[in-house]
Amino acid sequence: MEILHIENLSFRYPKAEKYAIENINLSINSGEFIVVCGESGCGKTTLLKLLKKELAPAGEKSGKVFYNGLSQDELDDKVSAAEIGYVLQNPDSQIVTDKVWHELAFGLENLGIPTETIRRRVGEMASYFGIHDWFRKNTDELSGGQKQLLNLAAIMVMQPKILILDEPTSQLDPIAASDFIATLQKLNRELGLTIILAEHRLEEVFPIADRVILMDKGKVLLCDTPKNIGQNFGKIQDDHPMLLALPSAVRIFNALQIKDECPLTVKEGRNFLDKHFSNFKCADVELDYNYNNEVAVELKNVWFRYEKDLPDILCGTTVKVYKGEFYCILGGNGTGKTTSLNVISGLNKAYRGKVIVDGKPIKEYKSNSLYYKKIAFLPQNPETVFLKDNLKEDFLEILEALDVPKNEREEKIIKVSEKIGITHLLNKHPYDLSGGEQQKCALAKILLLEPTILLLDEPTKGLDAYSKYTLKTILAELKKDGITIIIVTHDVEFAAENADRCALFFDGEILSADTPSRFFSENNFYTTAANRMARHLWSHAVTCEQVINCCKKSGGD
Amino acid sequence: MKAFGNYHPATLMIYFISVLLVAMFVSNLVLQLLSLSGAILFSVMLQKRSEILGNIGFYIPLFLLIAITNPLFSHNGVTPLFFLNGNPVTFEAIIYGIAIAVMIVGVMIWFKCYGEIMSSDKFLYLFGKAIPKLSLVLSMAFRFIPLFKRQLQKVNKAQKALGLYSSKSFMDKLRSSSSVFMAMISWSLENSMDTSDSMKARGYGLKGRTTFTLFRLYSDDIVLMTLCVSLMAITFTGIATGLTDFHYYPYISNLNRSPSAIIIYIAFGTISFLPFVIEVKEALAWKYYISKI
Repeated sequence: MEILHIENLSFRYPKAEKYAIENINLSINSGEFIVVCGESGCGKTTLLKLLKKELAPAGEKSGKVFYNGLSQDELDDKVSAAEIGYVLQNPDSQIVTDKVWHELAFGLENLGIPTETIRRRVGEMASYFGIHDWFRKNTDELSGGQKQLLNLAAIMVMQPKILILDEPTSQLDPIAASDFIATLQKLNRELGLTIILAEHRLEEVFPIADRVILMDKGKVLLCDTPKNIGQNFGKIQDDHPMLLALPSAVRIFNALQIKDECPLTVKEGRNFLDKHFSNFKCADVELDYNYNNEVAVELKNVWFRYEKDLPDILCGTTVKVYKGEFYCILGGNGTGKTTSLNVISGLNKAYRGKVIVDGKPIKEYKSNSLYYKKIAFLPQNPETVFLKDNLKEDFLEILEALDVPKNEREEKIIKVSEKIGITHLLNKHPYDLSGGEQQKCALAKILLLEPTILLLDEPTKGLDAYSKYTLKTILAELKKDGITIIIVTHDVEFAAENADRCALFFDGEILSADTPSRFFSENNFYTTAANRMARHLWSHAVTCEQVINCCKKSGGD
Repeated sequence: MKAFGNYHPATLMIYFISVLLVAMFVSNLVLQLLSLSGAILFSVMLQKRSEILGNIGFYIPLFLLIAITNPLFSHNGVTPLFFLNGNPVTFEAIIYGIAIAVMIVGVMIWFKCYGEIMSSDKFLYLFGKAIPKLSLVLSMAFRFIPLFKRQLQKVNKAQKALGLYSSKSFMDKLRSSSSVFMAMISWSLENSMDTSDSMKARGYGLKGRTTFTLFRLYSDDIVLMTLCVSLMAITFTGIATGLTDFHYYPYISNLNRSPSAIIIYIAFGTISFLPFVIEVKEALAWKYYISKI
């Protein structure tokens, strides 16, 4: 049965020249699991917001959206509020109240439902989502994953028929993200709930979707089952940026152009490689790695804890990062990865052990000499780097603080902006930028400090595949200039593609630092999807490109 | 253990208002002593042992200070005991000083218990009914404050790593913290856009909003409330008819020891000791329960 019908929907923001979305026609059946994907800025969010009339942005709109045969204007306000649920991207800002139980009841209160009914529904939801353990807690005490689960539960308690989610997992770590996706799948399977999910991390959601809508520049490029999209995507356009975002199996399939059914999951990808390449021998990926013998950053047996009574976060951490190296620290949530960066950047002081930056103990750097032409730190939330309403002013301010002569300031800003590719953004407000643009601008700002060592905390968080690709090229560029780059990340794919060496942070220590090929091929679970697919053939191939190259070299069909 | 705190907020509010009215405005020494001892016993039940010691160290000096101050400055009364710097120190003034100390310390301890028992959500529940918008606004404020604090820390850290805070001059510090503050304001506005979207998406602003609460009125609450109200009615009748009138100047009046006055003392005494009795009963029941396991 058709639950949502979209007819010739176009929308233009006030004063914008181009349409944000153009001529969209879609029909969505009850119980479908739909994944909407596309580069950032392709109109995903605009489309999703237009589906719920309460959130429809102001602007010029034409075309119609029908819910259960009723157009949005005819739809009753209460029905619309309750039956079309909407979960936003940021777990923090969409929580309204201070208590978990109150947050769950908030929507029902708005609908004017009596207390006894609310009590029952809230209880039911809390049990279904496993919230009962933290039911009476303050919303502020929850982890990111719990917060997003609470946001979902607070919508589900209103018993919606359609659930719309706008990149709900982009701010979560991979484990919380898979839990969240699993919950969505369960809701879809067990309750027959219609789900429309916008995502850019497709590895997991792509195979479980009933249909995938691929958007490009405000239009629907493809709308089909995941199998067909995987099969046909390469034929339409083989260098489309969205290709980077597709699951590894689909990417490998598309690059090889073999006539077969398109694999979607790791399991299918493994079988696919087996079928076509198991009889062909090919040399494994080369493992050589040469590093500069000069040490840029060294931690020697460092111990750190936040307060006297709290447990140690770093217990005898020992690391050596060489000059000009791209070093990746991977590891689970809350293990102290970020803390180790804070210690290197001097924001936290170790109570035992030595931190040596560029051959000199960190204690000997007076006032801000550590931060000028030495270490620069890009925190997890790039928006915290900006203080002004306008990027250029922001850049000028930091140069002023650094006592750069007035006549050189402009020149420096232009040089850095051109390098990062943000010249067109200089007059914008930092909050008007997309996540990827914000990341790039924040990077530009810290590059004004002319660092030789760059620390990045979760630089790929919330970025779509194309922005990741841009970041990758920028970082490669900086590495060529001789800058040492240390990043902390959850993103195994990004680490595998870029790092010279990877290390695992666990239990206060940094373990097994090695080249990505060796590092990941020795891990069984904590490795890239491409490696899990191909490890039985070429154990050291960890990125999609390496697998594709091995396939091509081996000369199978 | 907070057995008393588990009662319905309305019950608790009625209880505290009635006790505090007597404790604050009635000068009868017996009623004051009953109020003080009830308060002390209750607060002892509410606190940990380590806290009790600290409190004794605070309240006893305070008590003595108030009790001594009055006779030093007030020379009313008809029974001078001795002269200090040519001023009479009277028996009445000493007793009145002690009475004031009893009252002030008693009220303070009652408020301490009140703070411990009536958490913000109970208070909001009671007064949110009268002003529904206010309770939501407060709840949102309680949500926002920690969020703001955390973001401020992040911004400060990020700026410190940019070398912004490391300058020692006062003007530089002032300049950097004011720009951090301005940035926080834009962040707050940006954040509230999302929050308002999330509220709209869940139908905020529709007609006929109800208010949900976790509190329920049990029969125990009604029993306690009735008990409270009837005992209070007795006490207030006594106060209104002048049975408990008491004065210290110029001479200390005789304590009314008529049977009707004694009934009032018993009535207020019961109210005053009620929370303590409830806590002890719960503690004993728990002990007995554990010993059975």
